Amino acid sequence: MRIACPFCGERENGEFTYLGDASPKRPNFAADGGESPECVEDAFHDYVYLRDNVAGVMREYWYHGGGCRSWLIAERNTVTHEFKSVTAAPGVGASRPVQAGE
Amino acid sequence: MSGYSQTEPLGRTATMEGNTNARGNAAAATQSHRLRSGGLIDRKAPLEFSFDGKSMTGFAGDTLASALIANGVKLVARSFKYHRPRGIITAGSEEPSALVEMRTGARKEPNTRATTQELYDGLIAQSQNRWPSLRRDFLSINQLFSPIFVAGFYYKTFMWPAKFWEAIYEPLIRRAAGLGKSAELPDPDHYDKAWAHCDVLVVGAGPAGLSAALAAGRAGSRVILVEEDSRLGGRLLSDGGEIDGMHAEEWVRRTTDELASLPNVRMMVRTALFGVYDGGVYAALERVNDHVPVPGPHQVRQRLWRIVAKRSVVTAGAIERPIVFPGNDRPGVMMASAVRTYVNRFAAMPGRKVALFTNNDDGWRTVEAIQQAGGDITAVIDPRGKVPAEYQAVAELSDLRVLSGGVSDVKGGVDGVRGVVVTDSNGRTQQIEADCLAVSGGWNPNVGLSCFHRGKPVWRDDIAAFIPGEAPNGMVMAGAARGEFSLGACLRDGHAAGAAAAAQCGASGNAGEASEAGDEVYAISPLWQVKAKGKAFVDFQHDVTASDVTLAQREGFESVEHLKRYTTLGMATDQGKTSNITGLAIMAEATGRSIPQTGTTIYRPPYSPVAIGALAGHHRDENFHAWRLTPSHHWAAARGAVFVDTGLWKRAQWYPQPGEKDWLESVTREVLAVRNGVGFCDVTTLGKVDVRGADAGTFLDRVYINAFSSLAVGKARYGLMLREDGIVMDDGTTSRLAEDHYFLTTTTAKAGPVMAHLEFCRQVLWPELDVQLSSASDQWAQFSIAGPNTRKLLQALVDPSEDMSNEGFPFMGAREVKLRGGVTARLFRISFSGEIAFEISVPARYGAAMAENLMIAGKPFGVTPYGTEALGVMRIEKGHVAGPELNGTTTADDLGLGKMMSKKKDFIGRVMAGREALTAPDRQVVVGIKPLDAKRRLRSGAHVVPRGAIPGPDTDQGYVTSVCYSPMLQQWIGLGLVERGRERSGEIVRIHDPLRNEDYEAEICNPVFYDPEGVRQRG
Amino acid sequence: MADFSWNTQSPLQRALVAGHHGVPALQAGVVLTEVRNIVLVQVMARRGKAADTAKAAKKLFGIEPPNSPKAAFGKSATLVWSGPDQFTVFAPRADEASQLDAMSKAFAGSASLSEQSDGRCLIRMTGPRARDAIAKFSSLDLHGDVFPVGTAANTSVDHTAVNLWREADGADGQAVYAMLVFTSFADSLWHTIVDSSLEYGVDTSSTRAA
Repeated sequence: MRIACPFCGERENGEFTYLGDASPKRPNFAADGGESPECVEDAFHDYVYLRDNVAGVMREYWYHGGGCRSWLIAERNTVTHEFKSVTAAPGVGASRPVQAGE
Repeated sequence: MSGYSQTEPLGRTATMEGNTNARGNAAAATQSHRLRSGGLIDRKAPLEFSFDGKSMTGFAGDTLASALIANGVKLVARSFKYHRPRGIITAGSEEPSALVEMRTGARKEPNTRATTQELYDGLIAQSQNRWPSLRRDFLSINQLFSPIFVAGFYYKTFMWPAKFWEAIYEPLIRRAAGLGKSAELPDPDHYDKAWAHCDVLVVGAGPAGLSAALAAGRAGSRVILVEEDSRLGGRLLSDGGEIDGMHAEEWVRRTTDELASLPNVRMMVRTALFGVYDGGVYAALERVNDHVPVPGPHQVRQRLWRIVAKRSVVTAGAIERPIVFPGNDRPGVMMASAVRTYVNRFAAMPGRKVALFTNNDDGWRTVEAIQQAGGDITAVIDPRGKVPAEYQAVAELSDLRVLSGGVSDVKGGVDGVRGVVVTDSNGRTQQIEADCLAVSGGWNPNVGLSCFHRGKPVWRDDIAAFIPGEAPNGMVMAGAARGEFSLGACLRDGHAAGAAAAAQCGASGNAGEASEAGDEVYAISPLWQVKAKGKAFVDFQHDVTASDVTLAQREGFESVEHLKRYTTLGMATDQGKTSNITGLAIMAEATGRSIPQTGTTIYRPPYSPVAIGALAGHHRDENFHAWRLTPSHHWAAARGAVFVDTGLWKRAQWYPQPGEKDWLESVTREVLAVRNGVGFCDVTTLGKVDVRGADAGTFLDRVYINAFSSLAVGKARYGLMLREDGIVMDDGTTSRLAEDHYFLTTTTAKAGPVMAHLEFCRQVLWPELDVQLSSASDQWAQFSIAGPNTRKLLQALVDPSEDMSNEGFPFMGAREVKLRGGVTARLFRISFSGEIAFEISVPARYGAAMAENLMIAGKPFGVTPYGTEALGVMRIEKGHVAGPELNGTTTADDLGLGKMMSKKKDFIGRVMAGREALTAPDRQVVVGIKPLDAKRRLRSGAHVVPRGAIPGPDTDQGYVTSVCYSPMLQQWIGLGLVERGRERSGEIVRIHDPLRNEDYEAEICNPVFYDPEGVRQRG
Repeated sequence: MADFSWNTQSPLQRALVAGHHGVPALQAGVVLTEVRNIVLVQVMARRGKAADTAKAAKKLFGIEPPNSPKAAFGKSATLVWSGPDQFTVFAPRADEASQLDAMSKAFAGSASLSEQSDGRCLIRMTGPRARDAIAKFSSLDLHGDVFPVGTAANTSVDHTAVNLWREADGADGQAVYAMLVFTSFADSLWHTIVDSSLEYGVDTSSTRAA
């Protein structure tokens, strides 16, 4: 399998590691704002465990650890293994995202 | 880069070499079936070889199969199940029958296809699966019992008793039924793997492949042409023909020359493409030195290529298929195309009186080939009943005997065919004299590579064969591989595919015109099987007969996938190249379905067998995986250190001294030397990360369970990280070297995963934070110096201006210090051993010097280098957790570190760590464990159950995680994870170890066995 | 008490045996050189400071740092792309302290620096068969059209990270590849590289960066 890193170009998949579904967002938990952990437990449960088993195009995290160490978000067809797009995570390099979180 | 072979003219002449040849050519003396001239062999280069101990000769350019044929050998093998005598059936990599054991000793290689093995001087081959000899094979009595060897025989027979399977049935079956035996010595040859890249990969160098490569090459794209044979040309080497007004051999030579002149074209012969993977990655095996006795110095035997191609043109040709009839496995029954290859390419006559059985026009080519070589065609059996128009003149001229009907039996013995019985449509039989039967059941396009991504081939009625369906992305099939069987069509199709592929890759040069040749007619009337009494084989390699297929159908195994597994059809090393389609056609008839309705089994790589050695390549023995060395490695090795693999690292485990009887004695000495004096240990392997930026502190607050933004510059702190699910991920000390610079350490094992995790946090979770991360693991050589004399040693080592007093460098201090001699080091006052201890870092270039200087500085205090075992003993004595406790199931509280968890901030794992099950009071937590019998050796992995309870899943309360012999307590001690452990200090429990059959009692205690108040490390 | 001597040691102390190895040849197919005495600093732009970092680099080295996988060759240093908004400064070691000090000052406020002079080992590879040998351990396409002089890549060899770039061609017209490998892996990778080169004949040596 070949993956087109937006920085390095097309590379062998051995340079990358797979993390999984890129859709779940880490819930915001403001402990110093007085929030108790219990209030966000359900949200965290979903974030950590709930995943769709998609047969088709899925957004997923890939890490180019054997290359430029960028975290990437790939749209991959889980049936054909074809990549529709590979883009950089919001905080790669020195980029300053408009909005926090991904 | 591989060379390519120049083709020589195909020549034909009418006389055969005899045993009494007039020229007295010694080399030809054994070659009773060699034509006097012609063929792509070098008669000036005779080669000696032996088969089953008998010396013979052949010529350069021969395969083992062609040389055997030239020597009049027909019997070359015994079959898998029935030990039937077998000969050579094909002339290519599809060969299911002529499998031999090549070479001897450590280089012995079983199941080698004689048809692809190039002859070399001194070649030694043996037949397989026979005892005591090929001619008199004892196990051929299996044939008498053949009714019990039918499909599903093993499943039905060896059912009971179950325990007999491994001990008795399987070894027996394996001895009786099987093929070659592999060498029992390590393979002395080298193999390697390499990458290649191109725009257009062309697979197969027949007329279509050469045309495709030429078009793509002329257009200017980067081309790789792979060919499994040692020569380019494909069927042109066997069937000749006329292209662009010249002889085919001349066209091959010109084309090859032009390809060689193009710098953007790479030709690789002896290279078989065997796999197609995602994203245009292909795998091929180059048999670099299989055609020589022993690879030259520093040469590899085989090389596995991974080829990355934007486009591929698969011109893999087609495989002629057998017809199933009784006796179709008799030595001397051969594919018609193979007969022509042996005659035309190798000038070797498979027989003097050849009968031809064909259901299609292409088979008729054999008539001319045999006649021009001086042989007799004793009859042509064509079930269609008439001579094809193209061959009418030939038939008339030679008064050819043409019979309709089919071959219903083959007469002969172990030495092969003596006659052929033909039964016509009215049931009348007659016997034809023949010593060779050439068979053509038509051609199957080689669709395999197009199906490796689950593509389904499509049936074409007019050629009675499957052609490729949807091929993997970027691949096109061309020529005979997609059912274009005429020479003209192959040339045009290959050219068009090559030109199109090049254009798709952006090449803009002129691809030129396609070469021209005639469009011979290929008419076929499908015939899969002649039904008559006797064993008729479908799969020659696995001895699967037509009746096995119909039996499978009767027993309900109608799906092709079931048929395959029930009968083992197509499951041998040839992967059913000559048998799969025929088998499913017979199944289709038996079930009344059409062939496309019956369908094919799923095609999977590898297309042809690949040695495990080639898949491993360079990565075997000491090169099995890469290794990492610390800067003091050679220093430690020179002192006799014993090393242990820790991940990829090699770490000094202990330093044996003369007279020490075992490792325990060495380790105990090292521990005592540290506890009573001073010692040092290389801890370079810890992961080290530079964390910089304005928000570095905030970042670490979110990563660790405890606070780091509050850490003062010049101080270190122990930190614990969780996974987001609340389980402990890793631990280590992190120091603040400047306002915006932290130096984080990880465990040796988790350095890589932690780095990826930190980058994820930085790039994905909190991109708003100004943090930069870089691995500093290899920049620093780091040593732990421990023991009551540590400060004295350091005072000798550091510049006198440095204040090394307890006040000047307090516990958990971290700062740069100048060393005597001008080197600057980082010094951290942290302790894993429980003694006064420091970790000192210098740039890696000084690592070896640092070890030596520590010895010099510590000499007056009896300094002792110690290894990871002593390190482990001291951490267990101190109750420090490590890998066995940070095992992916434990929480911070389980480890006794729950109090570290900040309640004021969010951090990774905070919320999920609060879940009920992770905070339940009956969780297994870290405790100390001490056997009551002080002489008893505690073992990790042993279970903890209540005293008096019967060990079992319901009474199990935990287990021992880490053990050591404690020199300080003078007994074995351990850490364990035990239910409600902290409440149970002092309780006597039962230690149950069913693996080692041990059972004894132990006391649960405080995990900090030694100096629980921590006085020593702060002193 | 007397001062200690601080001899330096290369990670290739044992692995590098200078001389000819493998197939005897008049001209070695591969020429392998360890380049010692180097200064390496990883420069990582701070959040939103990529432009400032580039400006500072231009001022200090006289060249723009690469913003794609390339190597930029300046008079005093080579700047090699090593990831988005970061690059590695490679320079011969002269007065190391003042070299580092100059960089600290130049990039103060715009970039974080991580010193890697001891964290990596620099191996230079050239010769008529260098590409064939590299193909055995690297999945990169080094064809001249794809990987001309000045191209760089962060890649993996034996599952470990390697920065590879193509320097100016040698006097013999052969391509020259520079590879930065992790210090702890240097011994292992050197063996892999030499083993890959044996069939072409390989000359090995070490040299001081210049």
